[in-house]
Amino acid sequence: MNHIDEFCVPHEYISPMEKHLRRVLRNWVDTYVMPNRRLYDEDWKDHHLLEPAFDRLMAGLGFQKAMFPPECGGWGLGKSDYLFRAAYAISEEIGRGDTGIAVAFGVTFWPIFTILIDPYENMRLAKELAPLYCNTDKAFFAANAMTEPQGGADIENMELLKGKTIRTTARLDGDEWVINGHKLWPTNSGGTGKLFGVPCTTKPGSDDPNDFAFIFVPAETPGVTQSSPYEKAGMAADKNGDIWFEDVRVPSWYRAHGPGTDFIAFYQLISLGQVASIAFLTGAMMNLYERLYEFVSTRTYRNKPLKEHDAVAAVIGRIAGDIDICRILGYEAAMIGDRRRMPYGDPITSERTVGRIRNIKDFVSDRAVENFGTAMDILGAYGADRDWDIEKHWRDIKIVQLWMGGKQLCQMEAARYYFNCKTL
Amino acid sequence: MKKDVDELILYPREWVDETSSRVHEVVHRWAQKEIIEDRLAYTHHYETQFDEKRKSLSLTIGLQKLTLPEEYGGGGWNTMQHVPGVVTIVSEIARADAAIGVISAMTYSIFGLIASERNRKDALTKALAPMFCGNNLATPSVMLPGAGMTGEDTPLFMGRALPVSIEPAAGGYRLMGGAMRPLACGHMADLYCVACTDKDGESCVAFVPAEAEGIIKGPAVKTTGLNACRNATISFDGVRIPEEYVLRDPNMLATLHIWINLYLGAVSVGSSLNFFEILRDWAESRTIKGGTPMKENPLCASVLADVAEEIALSRLLLYNMAHVFVHSERFGAVEDKGMFTFAQMIGSRIQKSALLAINRGMELMGSAGYAKEWHVEKHWRDVKTIQSALCGVGAGVPVKMDIARFFFDCKEV
Ligand SMILES: Cc1cc2nc3c(=O)[nH]c(=O)nc-3n(C[C@H](O)[C@H](O)[C@H](O)COP(=O)(O)OP(=O)(O)OC[C@H]3O[C@@H](n4cnc5c(N)ncnc54)[C@H](O)[C@@H]3O)c2cc1C
Repeated sequence: MNHIDEFCVPHEYISPMEKHLRRVLRNWVDTYVMPNRRLYDEDWKDHHLLEPAFDRLMAGLGFQKAMFPPECGGWGLGKSDYLFRAAYAISEEIGRGDTGIAVAFGVTFWPIFTILIDPYENMRLAKELAPLYCNTDKAFFAANAMTEPQGGADIENMELLKGKTIRTTARLDGDEWVINGHKLWPTNSGGTGKLFGVPCTTKPGSDDPNDFAFIFVPAETPGVTQSSPYEKAGMAADKNGDIWFEDVRVPSWYRAHGPGTDFIAFYQLISLGQVASIAFLTGAMMNLYERLYEFVSTRTYRNKPLKEHDAVAAVIGRIAGDIDICRILGYEAAMIGDRRRMPYGDPITSERTVGRIRNIKDFVSDRAVENFGTAMDILGAYGADRDWDIEKHWRDIKIVQLWMGGKQLCQMEAARYYFNCKTL
Repeated sequence: MKKDVDELILYPREWVDETSSRVHEVVHRWAQKEIIEDRLAYTHHYETQFDEKRKSLSLTIGLQKLTLPEEYGGGGWNTMQHVPGVVTIVSEIARADAAIGVISAMTYSIFGLIASERNRKDALTKALAPMFCGNNLATPSVMLPGAGMTGEDTPLFMGRALPVSIEPAAGGYRLMGGAMRPLACGHMADLYCVACTDKDGESCVAFVPAEAEGIIKGPAVKTTGLNACRNATISFDGVRIPEEYVLRDPNMLATLHIWINLYLGAVSVGSSLNFFEILRDWAESRTIKGGTPMKENPLCASVLADVAEEIALSRLLLYNMAHVFVHSERFGAVEDKGMFTFAQMIGSRIQKSALLAINRGMELMGSAGYAKEWHVEKHWRDVKTIQSALCGVGAGVPVKMDIARFFFDCKEV
């Protein structure tokens, strides 16, 4: 094998536009990300280096328009039969360069998926929000503010808890929603996000899906306060912080849909987020292969190139083999999502889809965490070296295993589906 | 009441003598007061506070000179009986900060090699003593064999490349070669302890003071963890050192590996002990599923169990390694590579277990485990940095080959 593009590609799955998307993004990663990414950790607060890369990707190349329908000035990907697979390819290419950029970019679409994916569209709101994404020459960031101080996992455990633990409240006052609460950790908070999708409850403590509300809140609305970003182990390109909502008022039609439908439209985000997460991981692993290839070809044990030593070869062979397998699974996860409209497919919110995609994400995360760790050990004294890039991915991807409710929630949702568990 | 971690995660206390236990208490107070109870400030001002905290430990409390013989101004803990005590102390230091632990571990390894009662190299110990027994911080940097470069035929130590060589020069030796990456502290070291070979390809260990002419130091590299132990690639271009600065006995490099595995094992165990304490606090108060205490959830409890198991077992292994080493005459001489093999085997297992414990425990801490504020991620990065560096090259393979060679008389691997 000579190139990362020779890792498995299920040609019968991929969209006609995938080759072009990948080519444009590969070029952008190699031009804007690769030369600077070793300095991103120190840029975590100011994003001086990151800003031009984001601007080029999102505004210059226009990727932030991708999900909106053409009548709103977008590319129409949100309505495409290939939505999940295209999102997979885009997220993987960006993840190869930097998974922090990939998540900051991907999450910008996350809240608006609640209003752009049929059958849960809200064109009035889409037209209202589209100019923020489509009529600008600067990168625009949005956040999906789910996690609260008492815990994020419960809020994403929709199947069991149905929003019961959400403490952020929404109260209808005339033709305005009044929002109060405290969210933390959303990607693109910490001062970057200009729009928040906020899961709220209209009746605290209720597990009736009708009491769940998903409301859009522009960051500049009076009563919204953001903290400065937290300092983290990795993912410097993603800013995360607190967001406080204090008697924040937005028009009543900033709610995604209405009782019951908000819940189901929001639930779609879980599988979309998991498929993107898998893509971040396989993208990073493809870069792992590139960097590891160089090391094992140029460094020796017993005066033999590492890759020619039988025992080392078994270890690196396993790593590359895992990447291939994870990619097959990644495309399969995307395909599960894209089968939603087909007669033999399932809705994205079905227990089957959620359980199977969570399972794949859990599996791929574990392989990624282990393989990056092993690769660092193959580099030995150089394993912790920023210049070899592997350690950066190792720090970055650990959180992919932990976010969106944590590893254990993935395990539970998978078990729930496979064994019809009733109480997990 | 919450039990102290030392009462919970047992170790054979009877192997640690009375004096060591008293010093352990002093170090415990230092760790608590100076770092653990004010970790946020320590994290925010790491660059400046690192040296201050090191000074109070190394100079005020006097641990820098601990394992040097008394007659050269040291603390006199150069007997083998003190080894389990030193292990305890290094763990305690690392409970506060693995980077200070690593510098201590390298210092004690070096003097274990040259000053321990079993194997004294008096002239060298005497020459180096002023650096470590004076009023200034002294930082050693240990350079073990590791990766070679394709196309180069490099002398080997147990399969690992030794790119630095010595040759006799008037009244001493000259060092050549390198582009070696030390375990840590290459950029800030006062003394390099270098694995090298003579002209016959026999391994030896050379000591090179940082002010010697001809040391080529690369720029400080950014690393995953141990950020205060600034590292760099080091080469030697005809560096002259006195004769007594080179240990020609071919067993010396194997013995250095034994010491390093032991004390870096102590660092990672110490770091994981503090991780355990943080995780325990988290597990006490975190609830899931709308109010169930997280630790009462059977799945989370099983992860907590894995964490405790890995840390407790690696701590026991660590003391067993120390015990076997102290009584190595009963278990077979150092020269037959048995001790070396056990040290490599146990050392790498400890690193694996410590990292596994932290990796798994982080699963339960969600984002908190990823934020600098909780300090968990620092332990994770530091232990990983130690683990990878100790591998040398090729992940677990070189150690596996050592083990296979010893137990099965493999000749070619
Ligand atoms: C870089 C980064 C980006 C992020 N992006 C976002 C974002 O865009 N939006 C957002 O809202 N949040 C975001 N988060 C937060 C993240 O999604 C949450 O941290 C995560 O969901 C876990 O929540 P928690 O940390 O509150 O842990 P908790 O909810 O307290 O859970 C603790 C642990 O308990 C276990 N657990 C939970 N439920 C169960 C169960 N039912 N059974 C068994 N075990 C269980 C899990 O292992 C979990 O890790 C981000 C975090 C980071 C670091």
